Amino acid sequence: MKLPEFEYVEPKTVRKACQLLKEHGDKAHAIAGGTDLMMALKNRLKVPEMLVDLGKLPHLNRISYADKEGLKVGALVSLRQLAGSAVVKEKYPILSRAALDVGNVQLQAMGTLGGNLCQDSLCLYYNRSSMLRQMLKPCHKLGGDVCHVVSRSKTCWATYSGDIAPVMLVFQAKVKIVDPEGEKIIPLNKFYSGDGKRPNIIKPGQILTEIQVPVPSPYSGGAYLKLRLRKTIDYPLLGVAVNLTMESAGEICKHAALALTAVERAPVLIEETGEFEGKKLNGEAIEKLAEAAYRHAHPLNNICELTPQYRKDLVKVYVKLAVQQALQRLTKGGGVA
Amino acid sequence: MKRVITLHINGETFELLVKTNETLLDVLREKLGLIGTKRGCDSGACGACTVIIDGEPVLSCMTLAVRCQNHSIMTIEGLSQNGQLHPLQKSAIEHDAVQCGFCAPGWLLSAKVLLDNNPRPTLDEVRTAIAGNLCRCTGYRKIEESILAVADGKVK
Repeated sequence: MKLPEFEYVEPKTVRKACQLLKEHGDKAHAIAGGTDLMMALKNRLKVPEMLVDLGKLPHLNRISYADKEGLKVGALVSLRQLAGSAVVKEKYPILSRAALDVGNVQLQAMGTLGGNLCQDSLCLYYNRSSMLRQMLKPCHKLGGDVCHVVSRSKTCWATYSGDIAPVMLVFQAKVKIVDPEGEKIIPLNKFYSGDGKRPNIIKPGQILTEIQVPVPSPYSGGAYLKLRLRKTIDYPLLGVAVNLTMESAGEICKHAALALTAVERAPVLIEETGEFEGKKLNGEAIEKLAEAAYRHAHPLNNICELTPQYRKDLVKVYVKLAVQQALQRLTKGGGVA
Repeated sequence: MKRVITLHINGETFELLVKTNETLLDVLREKLGLIGTKRGCDSGACGACTVIIDGEPVLSCMTLAVRCQNHSIMTIEGLSQNGQLHPLQKSAIEHDAVQCGFCAPGWLLSAKVLLDNNPRPTLDEVRTAIAGNLCRCTGYRKIEESILAVADGKVK
């Protein structure tokens, strides 16, 4: 499959990269690992006139950890680097495991953390060959005005299907966004737009440069469970991330965080977890948590052959399983998640 | 749009004129004649085009050649040394792990990266390492056995 023609530039500084992206607007596209973008280019889903290679930007491939500030990961760190990092394995083992759940070894070696968080959303009617696309009217994501999944919808319902975002959400991660005017740090929860057409809030001229994860609490444990059919290149058909912090070695919950992926236009952080704080996390509470997650999951018939109802039903099963796994992994006082 | 780039492949240095929209796979096969690297799905799904760049397994069909400037690339042609097959290649022959052979260049390099980082992998680790390399002939069993035989020192 031939790639479209484009001008290729390799800025050496973040500032220059932002300027180029701003100047050329929608005509330019940034490339980091390229695993998401290259297919879009080959299928002519995106036809930028200019490709801005972020690969040479300095200092964005570093991982650091400090006891007060927590973890800082440069956006260009590959998923395999992230998974293999000694400090990530020690302090955030579910993050390491989730990185190993993305695609396969090759995609983990090529794909970056920043790129994974910025992954475009998916839809069977969008991610198809150009020949098949011609058989239907262009949808919202292709610049048209119909949705082939939710009929008469005025917006795009493409599904957000990243693996790492839900895990980062339960860790209350923040992202640093740089543009020609300066930089800002926002909670990852505010990073996703909920619009299938453009799943995140990055505007032309902005680059996500760093991901910051707070220090893990003592007596905490987590889990990420991914529903997939092939255990190779596949995206999650459902992903459930949990991070629990208990008062002590007992059963009282201090903080519970639960997030889903592949069931909405954005990763979903379940807000109702607050009501479990200060309470025992017994069977009844876990059941309620699973019910809350179920209510927020809206899988559609647009990502694979598993029916939406099946995927929705599995939300409850996966939440219960993930909570049980997280409870089994509770750390002592050492602050290891 | 064209550009002159320098590529380090299997210990040799090549200076070539490439189009900015050519993939590493295009350049390896069509400009350098290194046709051991296979064009399978050409869309990042099958792993037949796997090469090793700086010690990591990479899909050459999803990599722009211009981005490979000054990186160290190994293709299947670089796996044997001085006319001697690599133990993984010998083991593949001994275990009948190659049928049509289309996937072999890819999984051999994935297996090399695995053993370089983890010389005594478990069966599960072998399966994970080659999960990105589709094989439609062998059913994977013989591929796994051939890799484990090298890890166990049975083939040198």
